[in-house]
Amino acid sequence: MSAGRSVAFAGIARSFGAVQALRPTDLAVAAGEFLTLLGPSGSGKTTLLNIAAGYIAPSAGRVLIDGRDVTALPARQRNIGMVFQNYALFPHLTVAGNVAYGLKARGRPADEIARRIGDALALVQLDGLGERAISALSGGQQQRVALARALVIEPDVLLMDEPLGALDRQLRKHVQLEIRRLHREHGRTTIYVTHDQEEALVMSDRIGVMRDGRIAQLGTARELYENPIDSFVASFLGESNLLDGRLISVNHGRARLDVPGLGVVEGVAADGLEGMSDVAALVRPEDVAVEPARGGWPARIEEVVYLGDLTALKVRLANGQDIWCRRHARLGVPAGAVTIGWEAAAIRILPRSQPTKTEERTP
Amino acid sequence: MSLTARGHLATALLLLPALLFIAVWFVTPLAQLFQLSVSDKAGPFAPYAQLLGSEVYRRVFVNTLWLALTVTAISILLAYPTAYVLTRLKGWWWTLAFYCVLFPFWISVLIRTFAWMLLLEKNGPINRVLLELGAIDRPLELLFNAGSVHIGMVHVLLPYAVLPIYAAMIRVDHRLLLASDGLGAAPLMTFLRIYLPLTMPGVTAAAVFVFLLALGFFITPALLGGVSAITVAMLIEQLVNERLVWSLAGAASFILLAVIFALLALAARFVPLGQALVAR
Amino acid sequence: MIVTRSLIHGLASAVLAFLVLPILAVLPASFNRASFIRLPPTEYSLRWYERFFQDREWLTSLATSTKVALLTALIALALGTAAAIGLERLRGRLRGVLTGLFLAPMIVPVVVTAVALYYVIRPMGLSGTVLGLALGHAVLALPFVIINVGVSLRTLDPALLRAADGLGASPARVFLTITLPIILPGLIGGAVFALITSFDELVVAIFLSGIQAKTLPVKIWEVIRLEFTPVVAVASTVLIAITVALFGAARTLGPRERSRP
Ligand SMILES: Nc1ncnc2c1ncn2[C@@H]1O[C@H](COP(=O)(O)OP(=O)(O)O)[C@@H](O)[C@H]1O
Ligand SMILES: [Mg+2]
Repeated sequence: MSAGRSVAFAGIARSFGAVQALRPTDLAVAAGEFLTLLGPSGSGKTTLLNIAAGYIAPSAGRVLIDGRDVTALPARQRNIGMVFQNYALFPHLTVAGNVAYGLKARGRPADEIARRIGDALALVQLDGLGERAISALSGGQQQRVALARALVIEPDVLLMDEPLGALDRQLRKHVQLEIRRLHREHGRTTIYVTHDQEEALVMSDRIGVMRDGRIAQLGTARELYENPIDSFVASFLGESNLLDGRLISVNHGRARLDVPGLGVVEGVAADGLEGMSDVAALVRPEDVAVEPARGGWPARIEEVVYLGDLTALKVRLANGQDIWCRRHARLGVPAGAVTIGWEAAAIRILPRSQPTKTEERTP
Repeated sequence: MSLTARGHLATALLLLPALLFIAVWFVTPLAQLFQLSVSDKAGPFAPYAQLLGSEVYRRVFVNTLWLALTVTAISILLAYPTAYVLTRLKGWWWTLAFYCVLFPFWISVLIRTFAWMLLLEKNGPINRVLLELGAIDRPLELLFNAGSVHIGMVHVLLPYAVLPIYAAMIRVDHRLLLASDGLGAAPLMTFLRIYLPLTMPGVTAAAVFVFLLALGFFITPALLGGVSAITVAMLIEQLVNERLVWSLAGAASFILLAVIFALLALAARFVPLGQALVAR
Repeated sequence: MIVTRSLIHGLASAVLAFLVLPILAVLPASFNRASFIRLPPTEYSLRWYERFFQDREWLTSLATSTKVALLTALIALALGTAAAIGLERLRGRLRGVLTGLFLAPMIVPVVVTAVALYYVIRPMGLSGTVLGLALGHAVLALPFVIINVGVSLRTLDPALLRAADGLGASPARVFLTITLPIILPGLIGGAVFALITSFDELVVAIFLSGIQAKTLPVKIWEVIRLEFTPVVAVASTVLIAITVALFGAARTLGPRERSRP
């Protein structure tokens, strides 16, 4: 099979009336890369994907596939595979009819179509279900038909818009790994849209975190997790505790902030922090040490959640702020009053982003 | 060409044939008829003045309005309980009852009217049954009067009244009625304070439809009515086919249209007529 | 309580009977043997059916009605389907305005439409022709087609069209392989509405019919006003039969509802 091709967005923007669904955006996806767009609902992910596919026209900017400007090409001439959120399977065609659709549109000979349907169905482990009606399939099977239908045409780019949103958690995990395997085997350029951070972490080479119509930060999962540019990215990827405060000083990559009711917190300064006032300290739950009263911040344990190998604790600080922490289950749970503490090197001091339409997130 | 422009072009090409058709065979004819009605030799609005100034013609308009009004009232009064019973029926009974309402929709108004001519005739079955029962000793004159016109028109228009009222009734949440009951309201109070107000939009829509349709009625009053009580539609037909005074026919048409559109505009402020119309 | 309920049910039953039974009176009337209509007939026969099917004038009007109805359905279906798809692609004010324009023939009294049409069609020489009648009936049938097709278009998930487009299908191919099969019930419904509208219509037909082309309802109308013979009941029964047959055909031909994934 052909490897994927590169996709580039240059100054792409789109508005619907007064709504700026997508602000001017540049993005380069390398050939063979698996890139995930992660963001809350309404952040412009689908809009960007639909512009890549040619389903909607950008208000400004250009789309390049393999270096070629395709902005004015309709979807049917772009050789793109799309997996829709609710699959958009043709209800009046069989499984095979759905998978064959793109090949027939390309005028392939019947024997080739038959062979490739067989291959595609085998690839997604639906062998022998070709004559089934779509309505007779389970959700997971429908999802795989959608995938087979998109892959069978050997697209230059595979686009997926929250393809696992309708599946239950168990199945979702399974299909995630399946999609990752297919990508590893074929190296097809893939742009994947999700609002589920775990999905993004499992599959992606790089992740673009989207917010309010722009890509807030682009990087590998590790870069985003360890070096988020602001509190929004920090809270959207991974579990996080954010302590809001006023910046006191930035010095040699170290920053100090004053957290009301708590005092001075110190940590590693994020880029571009100088001159800011509203900042936040990012404390990952695994970096919090909970000790029976010793030097640190006094706190009370409010909640204990048993997670198997780990235990999650919610502790309340003197200023009323809750901090989630995690520790090995075999360490047990200290009782009553405790103190918490952390290494300053594990803490990042970040610009505080304005609240957005982000859904409520629980640790 | 950009994707957006291509999309707009396709939309325009899809709409164009029907638009042209409606423009040529509906809008233009109406415009020409209007043109004719205002360009009389005797002065721009002479036909209108003639129609509205003459006692005879004025009576036709008043008759038509009155007829439409009474037919609407009777239709609504009969449709309301019928629609209510439809909402209470289930399964096979519901299907049967619903087909009874829909069946007349499919049958030509001409044939429905003809059927009433057969039934109400001097030697028809109704008169004969009454005679045999001894209730009367001479056949009644059931045809060619206001009564037969009302019966025929209500028969044709009743389904138009039942359906919007039914649609409003099935939307009523029955827990509201239970709640009212539970709060100690008598059934009559529950009906007057809860059910009737909630179903009122359906009644309004039904009344508007029936009234507007009744205003333009031609076949039924022409066949079942007496010679003296003619409707505007019959007048228009006579003016064209018998008296060949097109300008008067045009003027009568546009007076009728003006009444209808004024009423529609008024009604549209109270009920979403579009929805009810499309829901048919 | 119980009394009120039985009263309401009794009234509703009476209303439903009032709606249906009078129409059925036409059927026995058509089997009269006598040369006048008597209900119920004292003697039954097929005499007036023979008379109907041997009379050239009745048969010609039936043929004219059939031609007019077919042409009406063809025009209304072609224009209406395209228009419904076009409307579905529009948003906002323009969509409302155009929908209103397309549905206006349902609001304007048929007499007015008929007179206006007669006025422009007569000088063109189209009055008294099958084409003229079909044009008039298509004006009346177009809204029904647009509504029917529109309703079924709204069950068509636009993502299906995008999917087909993305898989490389041309617009024509998308229409033939996706849109058309899915909106077929609406098309059949629209076609039946158009056919029945034309077969049953009288007012436009009164104005636009002529010696050359006279529809069955116009012929019935003329005869009713002159005489009251059972042959009119036969003609009416034929018209009812056509309507019921069309309706039945739509129900059996129309694809079953599919459960959507
Ligand atoms: N066709 C449209 N018309 C109007 N607004 C739209 C349309 N599509 C998207 N939007 C708006 O654009 C913004 C981004 O939408 P979308 O790209 O679908 O977000 P996401 O896929 O991230 O949930 C939202 O505010 C949405 O309401
Ligand atoms: Mg989306």
